[in-house]
Amino acid sequence: MEKSDRWSALFWLLFSIFIAYESFKMGLGQVNQPGPGFLFFWTSIFIAILSLIVMAKTFGRKSSKDTKEKGKAEGTSNWTKLISVLIALFLYAFFMERLGFIIVTFLLFLFLLGFIERKRWWYALLLSVLVAVLSYLLFETGLKSQLPKGILESLMYKF
Amino acid sequence: MVEIIQNVGYGFQVALQPINLMYCFAGVLIGTLVGVLPGLGPAAAIALLLPTTFKVAPVSATIMLAGIYYGAMYGGSTTSILVNIPGEAASVVTCLDGYQMAKKGRAGAALGIAAFGSFIAGTIAVMALTIVGPFLSNLALAFGPPEYFSLMVVGITVLTYLSSGSMIKSLMMAGVGLILSGVGMDTIAGKYRFTFNIQSLLDGIGVVPVAMGLFGISEVLINLEKDIKRDVLTTKVKNLFPSIRDWAESIWSIIRGSILGFFLGIIPGGGAVIASFASYAIEKKVSKRPEEFGNGAIQGVAGPEAANNSAAGGAFIPLLTLGIPANPVMAILLGALMIHGLQPGPLLMVNAPDLFWGTIVSMYIGNGMLLVLNLPLIPLWVKVLKVPYYLLYPLILLFCLIGSYSLENSISDVVIMLVFGVLGFLMKKFGYDGAPLILALVLGQKLETSLRRALIMSHGGFSIFFTRPISLMFLIVAAILIIIPILTQRKKLSSLPDD
Repeated sequence: MEKSDRWSALFWLLFSIFIAYESFKMGLGQVNQPGPGFLFFWTSIFIAILSLIVMAKTFGRKSSKDTKEKGKAEGTSNWTKLISVLIALFLYAFFMERLGFIIVTFLLFLFLLGFIERKRWWYALLLSVLVAVLSYLLFETGLKSQLPKGILESLMYKF
Repeated sequence: MVEIIQNVGYGFQVALQPINLMYCFAGVLIGTLVGVLPGLGPAAAIALLLPTTFKVAPVSATIMLAGIYYGAMYGGSTTSILVNIPGEAASVVTCLDGYQMAKKGRAGAALGIAAFGSFIAGTIAVMALTIVGPFLSNLALAFGPPEYFSLMVVGITVLTYLSSGSMIKSLMMAGVGLILSGVGMDTIAGKYRFTFNIQSLLDGIGVVPVAMGLFGISEVLINLEKDIKRDVLTTKVKNLFPSIRDWAESIWSIIRGSILGFFLGIIPGGGAVIASFASYAIEKKVSKRPEEFGNGAIQGVAGPEAANNSAAGGAFIPLLTLGIPANPVMAILLGALMIHGLQPGPLLMVNAPDLFWGTIVSMYIGNGMLLVLNLPLIPLWVKVLKVPYYLLYPLILLFCLIGSYSLENSISDVVIMLVFGVLGFLMKKFGYDGAPLILALVLGQKLETSLRRALIMSHGGFSIFFTRPISLMFLIVAAILIIIPILTQRKKLSSLPDD
């Protein structure tokens, strides 16, 4: 067990305590008439015990050097890239219905290709327009999804 | 016997309808593509395409989604052999000898034997499915709430036992999945649970956005973090038809792989990944020249490729006959069937025979299509592989965004997907497996209902789970699986990367 496990296990321990409390509030019922919180209360107790075992193991022995074990949170070089992409995705969700699918998709691609991947601006611009329009045609017209039209809606009705 | 032939005949009637043939073709084609593309597995692909099937008849939709699954098993081998990067998890082993064969100029033979082996295995699996399916359905009709509860417990236990990484952590994730399944309306008491007055949570947390987040978005995030480089083997791929010597060397590996894969596929929690690892181990053991393994032994390609394909077929059995998904892909398929208003389980064969037999027979046909499709299209797949990642990942992200939005035309599912994308990324970093979470999330409601009904039946006595023989048997298996690792501190079978 890696040292980082101590923190992840602590997280799940707190999570399970919270769930146990919530389930208890919902009512456990009787064993012959289990209530809405019954299963989840006992499940969270189960998770709590397991996370304690994981935590105990990190104290029990020196952290192993098993590099194959994925439970290792090694230093990350691309944190800024990762965070920027994530922020972009959440902003996409936030503005999707307000601005409409075509515009947010165009902006997302422009950001990813132009800013994150640092492609030449005309290349990024061209691709972003292409992806936004083609994916709209494919999903909206071809596959009959109902993507939000947003502020382009009034414009579209004119054509 | 006559009945089986009649049923299969009926299945052919359904599957050969032009519209279903078209969906089958679309399914296997998309599946192969998904299998070829690293970073996009069948689970995410089925989740992505699910919304596009809403307006399609359930039979056609299921045929297509099934095609994606076994099609991906084919496609995954191509990248393993040519690039040494498994297109999806079940093809990890194929890299070991497939890539070595390619380096020795035998890429054609490796691709060919993988395709033929998959075809043979797929066909064997479907034949077995035809025979075992009705038998299990009848058996399952005798199941009451205690049996279902114990079966689901054993399913989740098997998955945690086999999953990559620590079993304790996998069990924790199963617990988390169970809790997530409780979000929304409690069907027995009519109360809202864990919704915290958040509008988006009132309808519960859907399996599909969670799966897209855990398997799609998080995969992209992991890949963004490390810069991946790929070298595509540029040599011309020729001689796709294996020689007589190749056949002689690998035919028994294919047959062994098929049978092994089928049974590992049936077991809830088993599946294609485990089957391919197990087959490789067996082939190495029975081989007269085990030293060739890892240096381009054709058996090391033929066996695992056969095994993962027949496991994909076998995995349909628990879903179609018991309503229990054997792995995350089947879990999403279960969600798909329920969206289409079908309840998979022993009655599916009676209530929707067109779906049951049509889907099974479509797999025969789909396997044939894949064989025809896979061999001539290999140059095209190689080109697809050359699509740079900076183009690929924005597209994967976009498909996830569109897919999750189209589920209910609401932002809620998009946000749920993104949140689980972040969670999935962290889980991967800290060594928690996402598969048990998904399985428990899907089974959760049914598991809880079975538990509560069983306890009501027995007036609160837990002995009901131990006095009924089938239920007892399931629980014993689950107990053994939990005890073994404690006793032996075993080395993980699947300590290899899962993607």
